[in-house]
Amino acid sequence: MTATEFALRTDAVGKRYRKGWALRDCTLALPAGGVIALVGPNGAGKTTLLRLVVGLLAPSTGTVEVLGHDVTASTPQTLSRVGFLAQDHPLYKRFTVAEMLRFGRACNLRFDQGLAERRLAKLGIPLDRRAGTLSGGQQAQVALALALAKRPDLLVLDEPVASLDPLARHEFLQVLMGAVADGEVTVLFSSHVVHELERVCDHLVVLNNGRVTLTGDIDTLLVEHRRLVGPRTPTDLDRSGAVVEAVHSDRHTSLLVRDGGLPPAPGWQAQPVALEELVLAYLRRPSEPSTTVPSGVPA
Amino acid sequence: MTWLIWRQHRAEVCVLGLFVGMFAVVLLVLGTQAHDLFPGGPAGCAGDAGVNEACAASFRRLDEEYGYVENLLAGFYLVPVVIGAFLGAPLLARELEDGTWQLAWTQAVPRMRWLATKLAALAGVTVALTGMFTAVLTWFRQPFDAWEGRFQYDAFDLEGLVPVAYALFAFGVATAAGAILRRSLPAFGVAFGAFLAARMAVALLARPAYATPLTTTEPVGVGGTTDQAGRRAVPGFADWVIERGYVDASGRRLSGTEYHELEGAANRAGENLNQFLHARGIQRFGVYHPADRFWTFQLIEAAVFVAVAAILIGVVVWRIRRRLI
Repeated sequence: MTATEFALRTDAVGKRYRKGWALRDCTLALPAGGVIALVGPNGAGKTTLLRLVVGLLAPSTGTVEVLGHDVTASTPQTLSRVGFLAQDHPLYKRFTVAEMLRFGRACNLRFDQGLAERRLAKLGIPLDRRAGTLSGGQQAQVALALALAKRPDLLVLDEPVASLDPLARHEFLQVLMGAVADGEVTVLFSSHVVHELERVCDHLVVLNNGRVTLTGDIDTLLVEHRRLVGPRTPTDLDRSGAVVEAVHSDRHTSLLVRDGGLPPAPGWQAQPVALEELVLAYLRRPSEPSTTVPSGVPA
Repeated sequence: MTWLIWRQHRAEVCVLGLFVGMFAVVLLVLGTQAHDLFPGGPAGCAGDAGVNEACAASFRRLDEEYGYVENLLAGFYLVPVVIGAFLGAPLLARELEDGTWQLAWTQAVPRMRWLATKLAALAGVTVALTGMFTAVLTWFRQPFDAWEGRFQYDAFDLEGLVPVAYALFAFGVATAAGAILRRSLPAFGVAFGAFLAARMAVALLARPAYATPLTTTEPVGVGGTTDQAGRRAVPGFADWVIERGYVDASGRRLSGTEYHELEGAANRAGENLNQFLHARGIQRFGVYHPADRFWTFQLIEAAVFVAVAAILIGVVVWRIRRRLI
């Protein structure tokens, strides 16, 4: 793989604010093409990571490479290849929608005005309305149309649907996925909602307490992980090196393991795991691997 | 970018432009009438208030008919801060409070170019508006300056170069405060407070020390008036007097109490105070900056405020270059 076949590569990236580290030791290599979900609870460092990716922030440690280029150089060429939709999809509230499009045209090397107008017309959003008077869903659609009109190679969205009602959320995702199907754009978006991801995403990054706890292709991750249920036992079985989570009831022990599908021990039953279950198990894991993770589990 | 800056800031620019324009029209009308009181031009009467009958009459009419305008104008020392802070406060703060900085800096315009263009455009508007305001006001005050000199606070602070420097200072403070506080209104407030504090401190403490003041000593006039006909008093009407008082024959400055004792002694002796002082070799002294230092002082004060503005803008540029915002 050449460098440009990665949409995003980070190497030991950390970001420290005055209050402390928001992100530590983040090393990722995400392939171009497809949809990447960045999942984590509130305060996990998702927004920080995405702002580092689009060059709004500079890392305190490490390097961020987007589409083969260092983002902190922020040349017009690099900037024009990345589209960003910030949380709460900010717009200039006193601009009309047409003026927002003019803003996009004035500030970009390539800007497909026609594409944006067609998208907005299809959604019935009038161009002469002030952005601040539109509904939240419409504002999100205008912001998305702006980002897509750049014809970016990488589109980064921070919690794009978190503030939308279910109908607007559905419509937004429909437009987004339509755009993905149309072009060659790689989409990286963050979410604290886990369900529905399976349907939409190809790749997963789980972030917890400022650290990456899981990353990989979703299909592969689902094949590698299983739930094993058997008689109540201490966690340290023969598979202890692969145990992600152990839950004990009175008579049974349920283990979430990453063992790549070895045959289960006698008396144990293997079940496939759902993506949501998997993500939650990783999020529940204690955050400081050096001190609190059970011995032998790869951090 | 030009369109974007105009679209984002046109409200402030229009309001301020309208305000300065109206102000200029009113002053031009009143100023033409005031200038007409001096057939030979106001400069011809400079310092002649007590000398030339015609000039004295002109100054009297100026005071009676336009003195109120001069008093009103003293309050306009706030105009530079209003212009500078009004344009500087929202420059970054509005983007930061609305979250649109994330939109602005992820388009293809690199943030340093975005910032440089915005700073240059809005600082330019600040200079243009304050410059126009000051030019009209300086012209309007010509008759008053011929009467009272240009070193008074209501003249020096409103004329020449310094108002533009004050406006740039306010612009710098408001921009930097907006970048740090991330809110327009508090940034405006900070700029206002900083402006008042800095202006007062500089005018009262720093300005008299821009150069070593001159000291003059002269015998107490026997005739009873300090100004003798045909001779200009030193310090003159247009000089900036820092301190005045009396020295005894040995050159030692007299305190207020000592002077009052002498006054009492003269009364008891039933003598004219001036003759009494004259006979004892007591002299008047004045510590002052001569009027021709006006432009030197203007340049120094303007440089001080512009330098502080440049430092503040430098901090803003540094923060944004380092992506601390």
